[in-house]
Amino acid sequence: MLDAVKDAVRKSSIHVCVVNCGGCNGCDVEVVALLSPRYDLEQYGIYVQNNPREADVLLLTGAVTEQWTDNLKRIYDKAPEPKIVVAVGNCPQSGDVFNQEGGHVHAPASNFIPVDAAIPGCPPRPSEILEAILAVGPQAIADRGREEK
Amino acid sequence: MSSLMWYIFDFARKAWADAFANAKTNPEIAEKPERFRDFPKVNKEYCIGCGACTVSCPSPNAIKIVREEDDETGEGLTYPIIFPEACIRCGFCAEVCPTDPKTLECGLNHYILPEFNLIPSKRKYVVDDFLCIKCKKCMKKCPVEAISVVDGKLVVDQLKCISCGECLGVCPVNGAMKGVFVDNLQDQKELILSCVNFLEEFIEGKEEDLRLLEQNDLLQYDVPVSEIWDDALKIMPDEEIALEIITNAVNRLKIRIIDWDESKCEKCQLCIPDCPTECISFDDDKDTIVRDKNRCLRCSICYQTCPFSVIKYFIAKFSLDDGENIHIIVNASNLNEGIVE
Ligand code: SF4
Ligand code: SF4
Ligand code: SF4
Repeated sequence: MLDAVKDAVRKSSIHVCVVNCGGCNGCDVEVVALLSPRYDLEQYGIYVQNNPREADVLLLTGAVTEQWTDNLKRIYDKAPEPKIVVAVGNCPQSGDVFNQEGGHVHAPASNFIPVDAAIPGCPPRPSEILEAILAVGPQAIADRGREEK
Repeated sequence: MSSLMWYIFDFARKAWADAFANAKTNPEIAEKPERFRDFPKVNKEYCIGCGACTVSCPSPNAIKIVREEDDETGEGLTYPIIFPEACIRCGFCAEVCPTDPKTLECGLNHYILPEFNLIPSKRKYVVDDFLCIKCKKCMKKCPVEAISVVDGKLVVDQLKCISCGECLGVCPVNGAMKGVFVDNLQDQKELILSCVNFLEEFIEGKEEDLRLLEQNDLLQYDVPVSEIWDDALKIMPDEEIALEIITNAVNRLKIRIIDWDESKCEKCQLCIPDCPTECISFDDDKDTIVRDKNRCLRCSICYQTCPFSVIKYFIAKFSLDDGENIHIIVNASNLNEGIVE
């Protein structure tokens, strides 16, 4: 019974923590646009946190710079189970244009923490981000929640 | 109180009620707008495998050219594939793709420069506005309408120009339409300098002839280009370019020569204060006039000043028409005929 309530709540309220592991802020700006009245993220029950301890979803942006190779894991560990990681934009997936020869990016982020979903684009449209969070978020969290029991 | 009434009353308006009942998201927000430049679409059957797209792509992992395996129907297709996780949707690949219809399509993007062309050419065609007489012959001749009048000047649009060189042929003014070589300017300067220096030395070596030259006479020489050709090729290995640069330089070259016959000098020292660069001085020990050739401007002021015809002033003109002999004509200046006599 309690689990059913938990599942229902998890499906309708997602807390997202944006983690910029060394990017150009392009994707972060699109996330900010999502929060604006134009897209109004919160109408879907998605809330942006800046504290990983309260997050269900870690939204990764940026190409994983030197310092983030350790810190990414630390942040991931801090987020409570069940948690999912969404890589926003090209950088956490491939390093994008920063991944040049002789460069110092350590993409993809999936080398350091498990990534559940990825949204390509440089940057992706806010609606694409929203779509992706809604597509994977609620179900994945509910599923993970069940697994953990 | 009345404001509260108005506030409540506001909800009773039909417009508000309609908007409330039929709330819907603006399609601009929910869907991708028409103009949105999405990931490039690949039409693999048009690809000619030139690789221009991969070269233009700024993102290292975004695009790769792959080749299908051959089978009994023939050779496998070669075509690009796009990896969306690295593609930044810049559309450069679609823009440079030379096939028609395009192998890569990226929204409306590849229509930005429909006549985008890259023509390998050593020359860039430009109009020298100083010499141009605005006859517009080049404009009429140009097959791609690359030349137009902008602010009263004729201008070649470098993006349209196909470097056919037609404009050079019709231009009636020597040098107004230029086909300049763009990639080796420094070498060109060096070549011109060495050519001019050679000719100057040559003329100055003819001191005897110059001193005998009568007022209205001409001296003529022919110098074979072959004398400077080896040096020229060392600077500029392309024979065609080298010859053209030498021809252009020689044909407009004019050298002024100051000849100083010390034996006639009466040491009046009139020329010393007149010289603008102070290159003439009096050496007390040797009791003679000294002239520093290297600082001389060839302004001819000393020649006009000197009452004893110590100084002579000549003008040499050059032409190279057949590409073999540089023809030199030297005549004495007739600036102050009256005074000399
Ligand atoms: S759109 Fe730009 S980034 Fe994407 S494949 Fe083409 S050139 Fe590369
Ligand atoms: S070279 Fe040909 S295309 Fe270019 S400006 Fe001259 S005439 Fe036109
Ligand atoms: S030509 Fe002019 S600069 Fe040269 S020596 Fe005579 S006065 Fe001087």
